[in-house]
Amino acid sequence: MRFHAPGFALIALLISAGCHRRSEPASAPGEAVLRISQRNEPDELDPALAALPDDFFIIRALSEGLVSPAMQGGEPTPAAAERWEVSADGRVWTFHLRAGAQWSNGEPVTAEDFVDSYRRALAPATAGPHADLFFAVANAQAYASGRLSDFSQVGFRAAGPAELVVTLERPVARFLDYAATGPWIPVQAGTVARFGRDWTQPGRYVGNGPFVLAEWRPNQRIVVRRNPRYHGAAQVRLGAIQFLRFDDENAEENAYRANEVDVTMALPTSKLELYARERPAELHQAPLAETRYLAFNTRRPPLDDVRVRRALALAIDRRKLAIDVARGGRQPADRLIPPQLRPADEPALAPAPAGGLSGPAADDEARQFLAAAGFPGGRHFPRLELAGWSNNPVLEAIQEMWKKSLGIDVAIFNRDARSHLAVARAGGYDIAFLPLIPQLPDPLPALAGFATGAPDNYPQWSDPRFDALVAAARTAEPARAGSLLRTSEERLLDQCPATPLYFNAQNWAMRQTVHGWQQDGFWNRSYLDLSLGAAAPP
Amino acid sequence: MLRFIGRRLLEAIPVMFIIITGTFFMQRFVPGGPFTSEKAVAPEVQRNLDAYYHLSDPLWKQYRDYLWDLTPKTFHPLALRDGLDLKAAFGIDFRPSFKYNRSVNEIIAYKLPASLELGGWSLFVALGVGLPLGILAAVRHNSWLDYFCSSVAMTGICVPTFVLGPLLVLAFAIHLHWFNASGWNSPIDRVLPCLTLGSVYAAYIARLTRGGFLEVLNQDYIRTARAKGATETRVIFRHALRGGLLPVVSFLGPAVAGILTGSFVIETIFQIPGLGREFVTSAFNRDYTLVLGTVILYAGMIVSLNLVVDVVQVWLNPKLRFE
Repeated sequence: MRFHAPGFALIALLISAGCHRRSEPASAPGEAVLRISQRNEPDELDPALAALPDDFFIIRALSEGLVSPAMQGGEPTPAAAERWEVSADGRVWTFHLRAGAQWSNGEPVTAEDFVDSYRRALAPATAGPHADLFFAVANAQAYASGRLSDFSQVGFRAAGPAELVVTLERPVARFLDYAATGPWIPVQAGTVARFGRDWTQPGRYVGNGPFVLAEWRPNQRIVVRRNPRYHGAAQVRLGAIQFLRFDDENAEENAYRANEVDVTMALPTSKLELYARERPAELHQAPLAETRYLAFNTRRPPLDDVRVRRALALAIDRRKLAIDVARGGRQPADRLIPPQLRPADEPALAPAPAGGLSGPAADDEARQFLAAAGFPGGRHFPRLELAGWSNNPVLEAIQEMWKKSLGIDVAIFNRDARSHLAVARAGGYDIAFLPLIPQLPDPLPALAGFATGAPDNYPQWSDPRFDALVAAARTAEPARAGSLLRTSEERLLDQCPATPLYFNAQNWAMRQTVHGWQQDGFWNRSYLDLSLGAAAPP
Repeated sequence: MLRFIGRRLLEAIPVMFIIITGTFFMQRFVPGGPFTSEKAVAPEVQRNLDAYYHLSDPLWKQYRDYLWDLTPKTFHPLALRDGLDLKAAFGIDFRPSFKYNRSVNEIIAYKLPASLELGGWSLFVALGVGLPLGILAAVRHNSWLDYFCSSVAMTGICVPTFVLGPLLVLAFAIHLHWFNASGWNSPIDRVLPCLTLGSVYAAYIARLTRGGFLEVLNQDYIRTARAKGATETRVIFRHALRGGLLPVVSFLGPAVAGILTGSFVIETIFQIPGLGREFVTSAFNRDYTLVLGTVILYAGMIVSLNLVVDVVQVWLNPKLRFE
């Protein structure tokens, strides 16, 4: 008997597929198409409802707010608003919209559109996840909580077709940075009213940004095309951008090597050295405005003793941790607030007993603190739990440092990310590895998170002096708020309910043909100056 | 036979009920919720979100409402022709997803076909490679052909998909450029994922076929058939095949379910927009409705596939008919 079957299935598959080798995405010939890896499928493309930075990667290509974040740091830049002025008391901001600006469907962009968008973003029925970014505006918080139902009392007013007046509760030093955040991006009320929650589909989406939504295939790709009606259309040199969905960094890296994507979101840490050696021009690294820190549960002995916390904080060699263990351009952190949130000319902090980067030299001091707390040489020190999410070599390194310098043992315990955060927030841990991810360059929300009873107060810490400093900074003159916040951070580092480890960084691969890539440390991007061309000479 | 099928269908109802109830309550007892992130949501916002998703209702009420939404209320199977819309066809509403701006019905309708296509082709590969390998090995028992086929099968079992997949990508996509490394756009994108997923099952099927055939080929009735002068082809296909396939058929029930539900790894390696990924990631996202939707769907599939396997087994093995 004869069998020709073994390879039959294979052959059939190959033949059925053979004629369609490589389907290139439909695009006009000669048009520059950039392919960017999109690591998270967007939940939403509605600026009022989107929750993740990844959603705003796409929303910012489609629409723009009054102002846009400055990619190089500094004051936000004009976007839908051409210019603005602020009253002498700093409470009333008047934004002048661009004359003749159009939505992608050709209708004019008016101040009324912005008022409508913000009414919708704040309405309790909308359930916008970031409605709190509007709370600096007069009565916005009351309206969002449902206590106030008359939107005309909220501080948004269209003074003319192109003039938007925003009245704040009190002067806010960083107000423009709030206005530059994603939820402040407007929507066209008529379009939303017509299609309801489905208005974000291709063909319906109306934006005022450099691109229009052309295609959205869930978990595959999102394609945006150049918007000829955009006020800066002359500046936009790309014909289209494809956001290709990858949820695994290895699959993403494979696709990059197979030339299926031009810009990746990240690189596996294990591949960093290879890229640095073999494709240095394609390896990119940028600091992120994020701190990774350890929270000590100040309600649990022996961590309720500040000397124990200081000892643990001092015994961590942050330089070694950031550069040898976390790697990828992560910088050792001597304080909690990342540099992007601080003015460049800010004076250094007063040295805290448990501050600085520490290192072998600090070990003696650490041992003294531990001995003073009643655990000389780490004897009788209970076995604490060091909680984290996903397997993290950083935790193992810390475990080893404490063992070596203090003679104490901790157990590492991993949960999935959401369980970890929920358990830590409820105070069910000893020591927790946590991220601090500010949304905008204002240190106040980050520090206010450590005030007594604040939901982000993972250490369950309560310090009247710190609370008073933060409360004073909230209501202080913008000029004085900075120094109050600095003092409160000094207090926090001194009392050590949390100890910073390193500032995060992003590593990604990008082809040399991509020019004008711009991003900041808050996961914002600008697609305006992007172009594709010949690789720059080395 | 009809009574047998009817009884099995009735038994499926309490099974599904227990699965739905268990899943519904178990996921609520896991710490963290759909809106947990490192930065706490403002209390006003949290209240609005809870109200929008009916999370502020007491749990028993949420459970009751959910069960009611799930209960089939209409019967228009023809509506399935226009797409997998379970709501239009049967009135089954899996509710909106907590994470995505879509209903779970829409997500299933969009993503299940990709998983089914992946599973279907993989099954084709598994059977197309596994059966001939197994039959060859059994017929040429203890020859070099048998050793060859058995080693191929053993290798297939030992190399997991998460190793085989990236190896195939490395060889055929990155170095040879024959295929795309990832994606699900053109028919050629189906080749590598289906080969990867199919090969593991092909290996099991080959071993089971070989074992089943060896047992059958030693039976008296085969010797009788040969003695009566039947050709070897006729002996194998006419007499031995039906009995020899029995172990494979009982394996196929769970295997088909495994191919359809276990495609998470393949879908991740090759970036396929299938339901397998949602099955896993929805649990991490605490997307309560999507977790329930996928669990119910897969549980339903497994229950029905087991039923099909039982029926086929009875049909293949006359002895079972008397039991």
